[in-house]
Parts: sequence; structure tokens; C-alpha cells
Amino acid sequence: MTASNEYAKVGEFKPLDLLAVAGAREVNDGDVVFAGTGLPMLAIGLAQNENAPTARCVYEGGSIDGRPIDTPTSVGDARCIYQASRAGGLYEAFYGQLHSGYVDLGFLGGAEIDKYGNLNTTYVGTPLNPIMRFTGSGGNADILSFAKRTVLIMVQEKRRFTEELEYVTSPGWRVKKWPSGKYVPKQAVYGKFFKGGPSACITDMAIFRFDENGEMYLDTVHPGFSVEDVKNNVGFDLNVTRCSGETKPPTYRQLEILYNVVDPEGIFLP
Amino acid sequence: MGTPKIITLQEATSMIKDGDCLAFSGFTIWRRPVAMCYEILRQGKKNLHLFEVQGGFHSEVLVGGGAVKLWEGSWMGQEILGKTGVNLSRKQANGEVIVDDLSHGHAVGRLSAGAIGLPFFPTALAMGTDILNPAYDGIANAGLRDGSNPKIPKEKYTTVKDPFYDMGELLLMPAINPNWGLVYAPMVGTEGTVRILAQCYNDQDVIKACDKVIVICEEIVPDEYLRREPTQNLANGYEIDYIVVCPWAAHPTGSQFYYDTDADFLLSFNKSTKTQDGFDKFAEEYIYGVKDHDEYLEKLGVRRLEKLRASQATGYSSRVKRGTR
Repeated sequence: MTASNEYAKVGEFKPLDLLAVAGAREVNDGDVVFAGTGLPMLAIGLAQNENAPTARCVYEGGSIDGRPIDTPTSVGDARCIYQASRAGGLYEAFYGQLHSGYVDLGFLGGAEIDKYGNLNTTYVGTPLNPIMRFTGSGGNADILSFAKRTVLIMVQEKRRFTEELEYVTSPGWRVKKWPSGKYVPKQAVYGKFFKGGPSACITDMAIFRFDENGEMYLDTVHPGFSVEDVKNNVGFDLNVTRCSGETKPPTYRQLEILYNVVDPEGIFLP
Repeated sequence: MGTPKIITLQEATSMIKDGDCLAFSGFTIWRRPVAMCYEILRQGKKNLHLFEVQGGFHSEVLVGGGAVKLWEGSWMGQEILGKTGVNLSRKQANGEVIVDDLSHGHAVGRLSAGAIGLPFFPTALAMGTDILNPAYDGIANAGLRDGSNPKIPKEKYTTVKDPFYDMGELLLMPAINPNWGLVYAPMVGTEGTVRILAQCYNDQDVIKACDKVIVICEEIVPDEYLRREPTQNLANGYEIDYIVVCPWAAHPTGSQFYYDTDADFLLSFNKSTKTQDGFDKFAEEYIYGVKDHDEYLEKLGVRRLEKLRASQATGYSSRVKRGTR
């Protein structure tokens, strides 16, 4: 790598680059990471090449700690298992790794989020009156329920940051207690199975974290945006009192790794 | 039990009855028994019940073609080549298909219990969500949990308090034992030993959980060859009932070390089948408009297929253009 560790200037990077870089910064060295397709792959790939060289990656299809030489386009891709320590299946990924407690960090996306980090990845409308169906949970609900920390990657839009989700696919810090459906703290439903919950939410505008009560607050605002911009794109009353300033831009080195090492074919970073 | 019988794609498909419950091998856009799903439509099967850990191109085809009455699963789409399952979305919204949602962990647990002959599987995954909302139980809402269908449990799930170590409340998910496992595998031995060359996804569980199993393969090889490395094999011959030889049977999904996913085909399918009219045109061109799988392959052409052929070193093609650079 020849590029420097200086920060790139506004205009020298794209919103997607900053999302990937911010995601990579959430990875601790040594973490076992359960990542989905797309941006999570960029984030973990960058982290493994920079700040977290011994982070291990579990993909849903069953590959564990693969070292792909070509970017996978799916978590079941042939490319995922290159140099993997194991090629198991979904039972291994969801029970042998996740339920058993090995997974430190999950990376997920969603169509909608509420202030407790609950996600909807299934419906516009509800199952009783479905207007449109997204993919559904897949592993989303499982990963958010059992990873010790989870980073949520979202598009910043008012309608996506909503006071109350019509459908909760995946459990955040306050979850539904059945049969009543009343929201209670996650610990009240998970008991001794409780391992953690959402730790950060990264969007194209800002980074959010969750306070002692599991409520989302604004942590940093990306270069080029204001606190007001963020508030205008959140559908609930957002706590901005803990905002710690501006999100650090990508470094030139990080950009070089992303474009030349992690996604040289331009699959996720056109 | 015994040695599986080698039959044709048409013969295998004709054994599936209207209303049967099916499960499939593979994961999203990899190792799906696509040729058989096309043939299911050609033979006009109806009212099928699909149990899927997650769906993909093969089940989008069955749903779009009107063969499916009930879809139980956790996910439907084609990864980045089609972020939602447009056919299931349309058919659920207009009430043509009954849907019941699970999480991956729930679906894997149900299939695993079925595979080992237990009636249920305990899990604490995905609790506190609307997947478990009793009002959203799509199968109960359709009046299908009355005990009359042996492939549908009387309840979606129940909860139990750990009686042994006081871990607290967790879920019991009912086992599933579908009528048919439709499994694509690249290599099957002369005695039915099955080998796959990558992640196993849920293929073993599908084979063991289903009452009858059809394996559709690229080639039959001497069992002696597969038995040189027993650690590499997925399933025993006596667990398989029928074998169908059908090269490129997984296209447009991929098969590691045989061929890559056909990204252009999948992208175009997802874009063009958002409407029923669009699906019908696709089906006329690629399913009903060809007599059999050989004609389908001739239609795709050598040039297209050659490009997808996998490297024997890496297991995937290095000749497909995947990104913008």
C-alpha cells in the first residue's frame, strides 16, 4: 500500500465508501463476525486488511473464516469457502456458531428501524394486509437476537426511521413479549440467553448508538451534513444531546484497500 | 431403502402429487434443482406446499407459475441479483399464496428435528419478534392447523421453561418431514453415495427429513471413487430413493466446480417477472416453449454455458464479468 493514513477530503470519496469505512471501524481485532451480502462484506474485508487482521468471518451458507481471493456476491457463493477453515452448512452457522455464543459481531441491513433498533425486513403493511413483501428475515432476526454486538446499516430516510414498526422482523433493545405483544426490555424475554444487542446504526448521513435504556442517540454526523439534516430524516424524537461531532472521513489508504483489494471488480463499489 | 433407482426427469416429476410438501437443496442462488422445478410446471402440478429454509430462483419459478398454495420459509430473493422475491411478493399480496414466516434459525431447527426423527427442536433464536406473533400465523389464519394435514403442525410453536438448568423460557419448533426432497448434487455414486463440493447448506437435513428423496445430478460416478474419501461425502445411498442424471440441472443457479451462477439470467428474470404477464412470457419462452431440459440448454447455447463453466482450481468461473471494473 502506498496511500497515506491522512483523511480524504469531501468530494474525494463517495457515501458508500464512508459507510464501509465506518463499518470496518466497528470491528475489533479477534472478533468472530457474522456478515451478510454487500456492505457488510466490504466492512469486514477492509477491517481484516487494516484494523482487525485476526477478525474471522462466518457466512450464513456455512463457510467459516474463508479467505476469498475474489469478492463473493452472495453468502452462499463458491468464493466464500476459498481457504476457509471449515465449510459447514446453516446448522453450523446458526447453531454451531451463533446459538452457541461464538459470534461477537453481526452486520445487518433493514428496510425500516425504530429507536430501539428493531428492524423490519419483511413487509410493507402486515401479513394480514401485505402491500409488498421484502425478503423476510433470513438470518436477520437470529443474528440480531444472539450476536453480542450488531451493527445495523441503513438508508437515512424519515419513513425508514419510524416511531413504531408495522412488523418487527428482528429484535432490538425492546422486544415484543408474547402472547400480549407488549414491548419489554430484551433481557426480559431472553433471560439467561441474553448476549447483547444492536451497538451502532450507520447510515449515509450519520452514526447512531444506543444508550443505557436501549434508545438510539446521534453519535456523529458525516461530513457535509448537519445535526438538523439528520433530525429531519428521522421519524421519531431523536436524542442529539450526546452528539460527539463529525464522522471521520475515510483515509486514502482505506480507499485504496476498498477499491484495489476488497472490491477490485467493482461489484459493490461501482 | 436399498440402492436408488435411476429414472428420467419426467418420471421423477410425475410421482409428485398435487398438494405434496416439498423441500429443496441449495442456498438462494446455488445448487437448486431448477430443471425439476421447470418440469413440475410443465406437468401442471398444483397446490404444492413448499418448506424452505430460504427460497430462490427455483421457488420463485414455482410460485410464479401457480404451482404453490402454501409457502413456509424465512427468506425469498436472489441476493444482489434481485433483492426481493417479486413473484412471492405479488402472489402473497393478492392472496393467491398462503405465507407463513420463519427465521433461518427456526427453519433450520424444524428441518433438523425432522432429519433426526424428533418431533420438535428447542431454540432461543429470534424471540420477541412478529415472526412469533400469534395473529400473524398465516397457516392458522387459513384454517390449516386442524390436524388433518400430517405435514402441518397443530401449532406454529410453543414455549417451554428449561426444566434442567433454569435457563428460562425458550421456543419449541415443530419438526418438518416433507413428502419430497428435491436435491441437486453434482456427483452421485453408482450406489447412491452423494457428494457436493462446497458448503453443505441444509442438504443433509433435507435428505434425511423428507419421506422420499430425488437427487438430480450432473453425473453418476463409480461409488468406489467416492469411497476413497468418505469424509468428503454428504449422504449414504440408502437414504436416496431416485437418481436423475441431468447436466446443468441447476442453471441459472450455480454448482461449485461445475458452473457459476448465471447473473444476467437471474437479473433479467427478477426485472421481467414483477408482473404476472412478465412471468408468463418468461415461462412461455424458457419452460413451456421447450420440450425438455436438452432443448432448454440448446436455447441457452454453448457460448453462454461455456462462460459459466467453473475453474477446477477455484470452483467458480473466472470468465464472467461481475462488476463495473
